[in-house]
Amino acid sequence: MSKQERILGDLAEGVVSMDTDLAVKASREAVEEKIDAYLAINEGLVKGMNEAGRLYEEEEYFVPELLLASDALYAGLEILTPHIVRTKEGEKSKIILGVVQGDTHDIGKNLVKIMLEVGGFEVIDLGRDVPAEAFIDKAKEVNAGMIGLSTLMTTTMPVMKKVVELLEQENLKDKIRVLVGGGPVSPAFAKSIGADGYAENANNAVRVAKSLLAVE
Amino acid sequence: MSCQVIFQPAGRRDTVTPGKSLLEAAWELGVDLESPCGGAGVCGKCKVKIEEGFFPKYGIDSSVNHVSPVTDEERQALAAEELADGYRLACLTKINGNVLVFIPEESRGAKQVVLETGVRRSVTVNPAVRRHHLKLKSRGLGDSRGDWEFLREALIQEKNLSPEITADYCVLRKIALALRQEDGEVTVWVWRNKEVIEVQPGFHEELYGVAIDIGTTTVAAYLCSLDTGDVAATTSFMNPQVRYGEDVLSRITYAGTSTGGLSNLNQTIIEGINRAIANLAAEAGLLPRQVADLTLVFNTAMHHLTLNLEPQFLGHAPFLPAVKEPLDLKARDLGIHVCQGAWVHALPVEAGFVGPDNMAVIIAEEPYQSPEVKLIIDIGTNGEIVLGNNKFLASTSCATGPALEGAQIAFGMRAAEGAIERVRIDPQTLEVDFRVIGSSHWSGEAESMNAKGICGSGIIDAVAEMFKTGIIAKSGRFNKHLPSRRLRKNESGKTEFVLAWARETAIDQDIVITQGDVRAVQLAKAALYTGAKYLMEKFAVAEVSEVILAGAFGSYIDRENALVLGMIPDCPLEKIKAVGNAAGDGAKLALLNLDKRNEAKRVARSVKFLETSLEGDFQSRFAEAMAFPHAKDSFPHLEEILSKIPQWKEV
Repeated sequence: MSKQERILGDLAEGVVSMDTDLAVKASREAVEEKIDAYLAINEGLVKGMNEAGRLYEEEEYFVPELLLASDALYAGLEILTPHIVRTKEGEKSKIILGVVQGDTHDIGKNLVKIMLEVGGFEVIDLGRDVPAEAFIDKAKEVNAGMIGLSTLMTTTMPVMKKVVELLEQENLKDKIRVLVGGGPVSPAFAKSIGADGYAENANNAVRVAKSLLAVE
Repeated sequence: MSCQVIFQPAGRRDTVTPGKSLLEAAWELGVDLESPCGGAGVCGKCKVKIEEGFFPKYGIDSSVNHVSPVTDEERQALAAEELADGYRLACLTKINGNVLVFIPEESRGAKQVVLETGVRRSVTVNPAVRRHHLKLKSRGLGDSRGDWEFLREALIQEKNLSPEITADYCVLRKIALALRQEDGEVTVWVWRNKEVIEVQPGFHEELYGVAIDIGTTTVAAYLCSLDTGDVAATTSFMNPQVRYGEDVLSRITYAGTSTGGLSNLNQTIIEGINRAIANLAAEAGLLPRQVADLTLVFNTAMHHLTLNLEPQFLGHAPFLPAVKEPLDLKARDLGIHVCQGAWVHALPVEAGFVGPDNMAVIIAEEPYQSPEVKLIIDIGTNGEIVLGNNKFLASTSCATGPALEGAQIAFGMRAAEGAIERVRIDPQTLEVDFRVIGSSHWSGEAESMNAKGICGSGIIDAVAEMFKTGIIAKSGRFNKHLPSRRLRKNESGKTEFVLAWARETAIDQDIVITQGDVRAVQLAKAALYTGAKYLMEKFAVAEVSEVILAGAFGSYIDRENALVLGMIPDCPLEKIKAVGNAAGDGAKLALLNLDKRNEAKRVARSVKFLETSLEGDFQSRFAEAMAFPHAKDSFPHLEEILSKIPQWKEV
């Protein structure tokens, strides 16, 4: 195994084993060895996070594990990101993310944010208790192709419908895709409000988001 | 064109217009069909079977073609054999023709076993309604006083009542005859020395009141003598609103989205209350109109639905109620059938999700009577936590979710007959011994257990025992190297552990605990622990003197297992007390003693409510609390138990 392969392996292992120390050590090594930062991130850290996401989907990993893995991921990113050669980075697809108005439960949304970023999206996180209009305004402002809506309560689900309606009113329904998720949300609900996609969990969200944008 | 729908085994039938869902038809007929999510199509519990063929008994031709086609959600929720057999989810199936529908055992709502009894508490009897007997002398010809004025003066002169006393309208309607029927002998009921609420001819001793704890799932009612304070009768029943949604949020959604939704919800609970009062009265040889006073406690959402107040703003942050202060309302305005002039007292709301029921728990437990700090946890969907002593009182509410009451669990069910309520696992053989509600023997001693599912206390036992015996790790993950055939993967590749084999059940399936079930318990217990720790830190409490577990299912909890799970901060086992339905006790206390009502009013104002879920580090603290018993915090009182956990390794 070449040195590069070993370092990439450590980067991935550091994330999936939730070993921040290992992820940091391997990131520093990658910089020293002048391994392309973008490669180190994608073939190392991100690969590890995707594995963590898969384990989460299989219920092997749970919320704490995903959060700890993301701690390792972000620690590594902090070291590697300044070394990215800008030309290599392509235009990222933007997604506006938030928990809808009336709800403050945001852990699920935070997990989705991590996985979407790892999946190559640029996530603009509006936080929680976000009114329908705010999603649309932000999406227009930054030219985002997708809006992601989350909620844990049945009583706030109507806000998701409002977002879709507002998009229709402004003739933006074809330009901006709507992705919904959260405890009480179901594929049936997503279809009934005219949303473009439904994701069951954070890992799934990345796949659905990519398919909606027809991104490779 | 109309369609016939018949539900078995209830035997109820009806004609419906095409397009109605089977679940709606069941609701309208009053047929018990589980729908924890209120018909939203997400829980998969409303499984029914469409019968195929001609049924001469009913004169209909029933067929799976007489309902809407199978949806994608149903393909996910139901097994292939079930679909082939004509099983459908009632909420997603629309009626298009005649159908005979069979509701299998597991989908039928069962009569819930409810803990109505609390601990014994002493009370001073100082009720809101007092009885007075008067023998009114006849009026002379020159006396032009009206009947009411005549009675009022007698009450003021002879009984020293307030000169400001008034009469309820219904009293005015009866007074003329009442004064004359028994030669001037009357029994008068006076409310709070302010209003005459009843006048009866003759001397009558009976003076009773009813205290009701209206929970989301369970309602408990107590008939008490307002003379002695003795409880004459008790009853409990499932809140009939469950058909509109198992949790308050689904019901609030229903109120907002269905025409007449609030009205249906309101009428349903009022009917339930009236039935309960009638039953209680009958048991004591009384009529409902002989009930003189009423106190109600409930969570804030149930408060609004019962009093017919607009609930929709309780449904989202910041969860603002229509009113917080305690209320005295006429029973007849609420549609409650007791003495016509009777008042209903509703305890105050403290904050959005900390309602009158929590106030009731506080006046029952009285943490403010001692310098010792008490931690009171209400183990229910809203997980209200109170911390305090004679110097301070604080509360918070944690979105615990209904996992600890049986919902969101694969084989979860309410605490009713057939529910596994106790579980023990042998650390060496990994064999499971369980007990089921409705029978007194353990599974190890009997062949047929007829288990139908597992309820809250059973779930707590099962997960704790699985952790104690090394079946699941501290992280909650199943240990793959377990030498037991009870650990296996299901068709979707997800890991599960068999608690009861099909032959031990009444449902012909193995009852298992899935990885997902363990995760649901982790979320619930982490919420409670995190809330409790925040309160303790904010008020600089390193250790509490007592942990009180309350809730209509509180006293079925195994204290050691609750601690092992890390549901509560570390403390000696003897300091953990399960007090059953403390809210019901508080309702009774408020009924019997006016001072307790004033106490509740003061407490509601002085309790400091903390919104712990908005704390900056909530996410990480919550995540840390998911491990058993905790990722970082130490549990010295569990040291011995934790050291004995077998470490199953690969052989």
